[in-house]
Order: sequence, then C-alpha cells, then structure tokens
Amino acid sequence: MALDEDVDAVRHWARDEPPVPLTYPVLVDRDHLVAELYGIVNVPTTVWIDEEGRIVRPPSIAPADNTFRDFTQIDASIHNDALRAWVRDGVLPLDHTQVRSRLDAPSADVQQARAERRLGMHLVRSGHRDAAERHLAAALELAPRDFTIHRGSMPVLEKDPFGQDFFDFYEEWEAAGRPDYES
Amino acid sequence: MPPAERTQRATIVDGARVTDVDALAVPDADTLRLAPDDLTRATGWSLKAEGLCRDDVCYPVRDRATIVTDGGISLRGVAEVLGRPLACESDPPVAVLGEAPGAVGAALASGRAPNFALPDLDGATIELDDYAGRKRMLFAWSSW
Repeated sequence: MALDEDVDAVRHWARDEPPVPLTYPVLVDRDHLVAELYGIVNVPTTVWIDEEGRIVRPPSIAPADNTFRDFTQIDASIHNDALRAWVRDGVLPLDHTQVRSRLDAPSADVQQARAERRLGMHLVRSGHRDAAERHLAAALELAPRDFTIHRGSMPVLEKDPFGQDFFDFYEEWEAAGRPDYES
Repeated sequence: MPPAERTQRATIVDGARVTDVDALAVPDADTLRLAPDDLTRATGWSLKAEGLCRDDVCYPVRDRATIVTDGGISLRGVAEVLGRPLACESDPPVAVLGEAPGAVGAALASGRAPNFALPDLDGATIELDDYAGRKRMLFAWSSW
C-alpha cells in the first residue's frame, strides 16, 4: 500500500513506471490507517503475515534494490534472500520472541501526532489551508522522527521531499542515531 | 467572529467512520459538544448510568460534569475517559478521535495481523482477510 495523498502519483509508480505490470494489489492508504495499525514509521517497510494470520516478521526496512544504499545503509539482499527462504522453504529469520520484542505500543505523543495529521489532511482536502497547517505542524512537533508524518507531509506543505527540507530532517534523524530503522 | 454557542455542521472522524453531525465548537476547551444521539452515531459510545458504554463494555466516568454540559457531551471528555487522543479544530468544526496507544500495542502484542480495508487504484475495496490462508507481505511505499 502507498502512504500517499496523491492517487495519480501512486498510479504513475504502480502502472506507468514498472517495465512489467505489477501482479499484486496496489492499495492507497491516504489516512495512514495501516501505518498506525502496524506501527510503520518509514518506507520502504514490509510486514510478513503467515497462513494463520500471524505477524512473523515485524515492520522492517526493506529496500527493493541498492539504488539508495548510501542513504539506507541496508543491503537489499538481506530482505530479498530472507523473503525467498520464507516463501520457498518456510524458514523465518526471527523467532517468536524476537518478533514480539519489535512490536511495541506507540507512545501517546505518536498517537496524538497521527490524529493531528489525519485532521490536518482532512482540512487540506476541504480547502482549509491555515487550519490544516496548524494541525500538521502539531503532528510534526509530536513525532519528530517519523518519516511517514514528516516526509509524507512535504508534498502537501509544498516542500520538496527530495530537497533541502528533506535533507535537514534526514540529518537530524541520522544525528539521533537513525531511530526505528531496522532491517 | 462567529456568534457564541451556535451549533454548526461538524465532521467527526473515528477510525474508518466519518460522520457529519450538528455540534457546538468550544475553542477555549479545544472540544466539540454533541447531542447524545449524535455521539453514538459518530462513535458508537453512549453515556449511561454505568458510564461510557459501547456494546457490553463500559468505562467508568468519575466526574460527569467534565463530560456533560447544557451544550451536550464533550468529545474531549469522552476521549479522556477512553484514553484516546483527540485532534480538534473549531473553524471549521472537525474532530479526529485517534486510537489509544495501549489498544494499538495490545493488538500488536497479540501477534495477530490486524485486518484492514483500503481502496485499490480502481476504487475497489481490498481487505487483508481477502487473502486469508496464504502467506502475505505488506509493502508500505510512497512517491515521496
């Protein structure tokens, strides 16, 4: 699922850009509902769910390839190899205890931030720009290291998610020790 | 300045439920006040003698005066009783009732993958449970 406000942008990357059509369902999560349910704070993130509906790999950073290796500092083969081993042979990279230890409750501030973000986006869509910006600003302050809130709000705040605003956020996040960034 | 104590059309967001109701915006208390029936319609919760109830679950309400006034039931008070975050705007009146951190944490601690429903690119609704019985990988990505 794409954590995007702009459905056309999702359509571009899912339909126009891939050399072969994607065969899996592409969902649009404008309100970050799944991010909240599963504690997803960044992209690209994957969660594995087994045949019985159990979470067998918690939200994990999973670059599809090594294009942005300098940024991610995570080799794409870690996730890709583990995924093949699970699908083909049923081998899981983490045991039950390790999975549980990474399924934390969110903080009260993060949950308040998610509510403020959702309110802000509702106000963006109804054309109430000033009110929207107040609530988005509240969300950014409450969840200072959450990419889905910070970088994800840049397009609607008319900031460049690949420009200086992003690099400033990224540098602060890196100085804080790259929190919540596990492969 | 809008006239004081005037009900307006308001939007209440609670999870996947989005409801338009008449409400009184109270900016000073950062809340919206609703009629009891509208609270139930928007959130499923009702104020009863036992407390704030939905189905067979009731939360005790220690101080009713903080929730109920002449202007209706305060969403801020309801959120506090339920331990849920509330994001509230008075102009225009919109409120988002978020999820309690403990509820999200308890769902995750169960190890069960929570179901959800989202639209695909053609607007069709897809649920996680549509693929029950198979291995599934959620892949969160974005254009940003």
